[in-house]
Amino acid sequence: MMLKQIFMMIWIGLLSLPQRLWLSLATVITIAVVVAVLLAFLSMSQGFRQTLGSSGSEDVAIILRGGSGAELNSVLSREQLALIETAPGLLKRDGASLVSGELYVVVDGIKKSSGTKANLPLRGLGPLGVAIRAPAITAGRMFIPGRNELIVGEALLREFNGFEPGSMLRFGATQWTVVGVFSTGGVFDSEIWSDLGGVQNQFNRGSSVQSVRAKLINPQAIESLRSFADQDPRLTVDIISERRYYAEQSERTSDLILVLGWPLSIAMSLGALAGALNTIYLSVSARSRDIATVRAIGFSGFSAFCGTLAESLFLSAVGGLLGALVALVFFDGLSASTLGGNFTQVVFNFSLSSDLFIQGLWLALLIGLIGGFFPAIRAARLPVAQAFGSR
Amino acid sequence: MTVALASLSLIWANLSRSRLRFALTAFAIFIAFFLFGILQSFERGLNAGADLAAADRLIISNRINFTQPLPIAYVNRIAAIEGVRQVSHQSWMGSYYQEPRNFIFGFAIDPQSYLQIYADDIALPPEQAAAFIQNRRGALVGEDVAKQYGWQIGDLIPISSNIWQRADGSNVWDLVIEGIYRAGRANIAANTLYLHYDYLNEARTTARDFTGTISFTTLDPAQNDAIAQAIDSRFQNSAYATETRTEEAFNRSFVEQLGNIGLIVLSVSGAAMFTILIITGNTMALSIRERTGEIGVMKVLGFDARMVFALILAESLALALIGGLLGVAAAQMMARFISTVPGFPFPLGFTSGIWLSSFGLMLALGLITGLLPAFAAYRLKPTAAFARA
Amino acid sequence: MTAKPLINLHAVSKSYEKAGHVITIFDQLDLSIARGDFVAIMGPSGSGKTTLLNLLGGVDRPDRGAITIDETRIDQLGESALSRWRGAHIGFIFQFYNLMPMLNAARNVELPLLLTHLKGRARRDHVMTALKIVGLEDRAKHSPREMSGGQQQRVAIARAIVSDPAFLLCDEPTGDLDRETADEILSMLQMLNRDFGKTIIMVTHDPEAARYARRILHLDKGRFIEAEAMVAS
Repeated sequence: MMLKQIFMMIWIGLLSLPQRLWLSLATVITIAVVVAVLLAFLSMSQGFRQTLGSSGSEDVAIILRGGSGAELNSVLSREQLALIETAPGLLKRDGASLVSGELYVVVDGIKKSSGTKANLPLRGLGPLGVAIRAPAITAGRMFIPGRNELIVGEALLREFNGFEPGSMLRFGATQWTVVGVFSTGGVFDSEIWSDLGGVQNQFNRGSSVQSVRAKLINPQAIESLRSFADQDPRLTVDIISERRYYAEQSERTSDLILVLGWPLSIAMSLGALAGALNTIYLSVSARSRDIATVRAIGFSGFSAFCGTLAESLFLSAVGGLLGALVALVFFDGLSASTLGGNFTQVVFNFSLSSDLFIQGLWLALLIGLIGGFFPAIRAARLPVAQAFGSR
Repeated sequence: MTVALASLSLIWANLSRSRLRFALTAFAIFIAFFLFGILQSFERGLNAGADLAAADRLIISNRINFTQPLPIAYVNRIAAIEGVRQVSHQSWMGSYYQEPRNFIFGFAIDPQSYLQIYADDIALPPEQAAAFIQNRRGALVGEDVAKQYGWQIGDLIPISSNIWQRADGSNVWDLVIEGIYRAGRANIAANTLYLHYDYLNEARTTARDFTGTISFTTLDPAQNDAIAQAIDSRFQNSAYATETRTEEAFNRSFVEQLGNIGLIVLSVSGAAMFTILIITGNTMALSIRERTGEIGVMKVLGFDARMVFALILAESLALALIGGLLGVAAAQMMARFISTVPGFPFPLGFTSGIWLSSFGLMLALGLITGLLPAFAAYRLKPTAAFARA
Repeated sequence: MTAKPLINLHAVSKSYEKAGHVITIFDQLDLSIARGDFVAIMGPSGSGKTTLLNLLGGVDRPDRGAITIDETRIDQLGESALSRWRGAHIGFIFQFYNLMPMLNAARNVELPLLLTHLKGRARRDHVMTALKIVGLEDRAKHSPREMSGGQQQRVAIARAIVSDPAFLLCDEPTGDLDRETADEILSMLQMLNRDFGKTIIMVTHDPEAARYARRILHLDKGRFIEAEAMVAS
């Protein structure tokens, strides 16, 4: 009985929407804009997190100088590298540990979208380093050591100018040639690779490296590597799994995006809420005679409350879906780059997952709930005597 | 005059006839202009380094990238180039206090020359400057950082570096605070730590006798471009080729690394403005539609159509201005508050330019949302007074 | 008066406060209406007609006094109990029909039945019966927009009687209609009173309309000034 009248009140409310078409549309659009803005930030943050968070593997350890925090700041000597090669728990191939000493230097590139300079990472690595990551060469060929040849990540090629295979680049006093394009997925696709010796030579690094990658026999073997390093005073190093290294880097930036995005979206929601309240209050006053009439017939105040609340929730749900749809069309998969944890650009794609979609809808429904609640109370308390007399 | 006063009271009466609706619409406008103000000041704050850069300072960095080092010997060679007045240099410390998350902007510098070149940015009592220059292990810190960590002159502070390590393997550098400086100009942060380059250079294990970037001033700013070109061509074929830019261009390149901040700011403020345009437009259209009869009566009573038009336009303008001015004022207060939060990396600038562009937007909002309803009222026939509502 | 009256007002007082002034509408008003009666209540504006209508309809409460309808003290019912009571006992007929514009005639008539336990099938049967009584069974699917004022008022009458209430409360039921249509509607009310035994209370300005009632009560300044029985031919 109660349900029947509630459903009827909701039905009447929804059927009356076309009478207030423009006002209702305005509410839908404002809520859609708010949701689209929120989802733009959320999908940016999530996309960044996915690109970096999915990078690296559990069974590769990164070894950095103690306290350096990032590859860019680290320095390790040739002797230290040689020590690490003798550590336990490392995967071996042809009798040698799969250990790669690498350089990580920053060079300039020009961003296609803005035409401005940006920091790009140039990684010098040996054959073992390549073997650890096993990239797919998607165009051209692998670099040949000693020839100042480069290969570039797919994502970097997409976002920055002048890295097409065959291009010549000048770093310092030397000329370099791009000979191929590679892909590993994740953060490495935003890097430039060349052979370690060449980079050491051209960037005056002698025989030092910045970081060491070591392939473990299994993810747990990182502990034996750590205790090995702890026992040797010559190895004041930090050891962390590659997966965790990138996950921690991704959190800082993606959290920052959220810290900016949520307050902005909430402030905008307050504006949209004011608009929604206006619309629903108006709907109550426009329908006051209808509401009073059914109340006179015997419908409960609660059913009038539900009818008005449902109208608001309906408008906000449509707005939320519309906003989410706009975000899906315009933002999902959008490629962009920003400064990552290593002070170099990370190329990532905005990613709109279903749970972000749902977060956007929740925000819309929250606006609808509050925007409908107060007018709904007014609807429930409307004097029934309004049904009589004048139009 | 009396007509104007009467009109004002009429506008106010019309606005406040539906108090709740007026308040809600004004609130939506308030929020939009609040966001606009905050985002603008955020953008200005980020770009302040570039916008407020001294016109007569130039920065030399490694041509490959500014994170690549330059030999310290370049400092003297550049000083010898014709037209160069003063030269100094700075090296990024990657410094933090106790925990990596207590990150501090830190540079190793040559104190004497640096304090001369940056005299307008670093306001420091002469005796503190002298003490800092004299003590090899001295530190000069901005008052913002000093306040954040409760530092006083004479304090011994252990500063960690995530880049530079000493021969004993430690990355902690013990410094004595010899000076606490204030920002020499408005909208510049006093949040940096300076130490002696010599102290760093002698004790560090790597990159000895290299520096980060070199700053210099010229005798004649008109010659800046020519001098910059002369420097860059001088080192063109060395292992450390240079790139010489104005301080403004150099600072701007930092902000540009973050991504297109301007586009994000523009999109979000645009979205906020778009929504209030819809909300306000609807409110105005609605309030005029509800008053059809009244406007007819006004016309019957002899109100000129142009007068009615002006009244309604004034009403929408008043609505936009009330919400908008309050919103921008709130944004300015918020910007001031954020700037005082310890650890916030840069002051949020709130220039008169923000007020001016906001005011322009308020006028535009008022006009756009008011024009159609005002025109409808203008064309309304006096017979509407007699029509049944 | 042998049987108990259907409606009994005893010592009912009601006043409003408006702009700081207390306006007394009724002071110790008594009224008794027998089951099966058809009463027209007339009176000038401000005489208290609307307030009486609100009190009888259970949409407003007296300050003091007792209102007993069909053995229920409705002045003592709570808000939601009063809603349910209205749904079960009164059929309302309004001056401007008050049909839901977005529902067709049958759905409008069905509204009060949503407050009962009747299932869909039974509800449809009741609706068709009510529409047949007002002569609109072929208009069930039409929306109010597509109907004349008289037809709309007949739909409203069908809505008022569909749940078989004890009495009908009519507020200027012909106030918005031309003479000929008004006569049709009034004859229909008379028929409902005569053939279906509905007790009817009708508030009206129109002496022509009042002549259809069995009794006319004149209300002036909160008092009934005379009562006379009249039966229209």
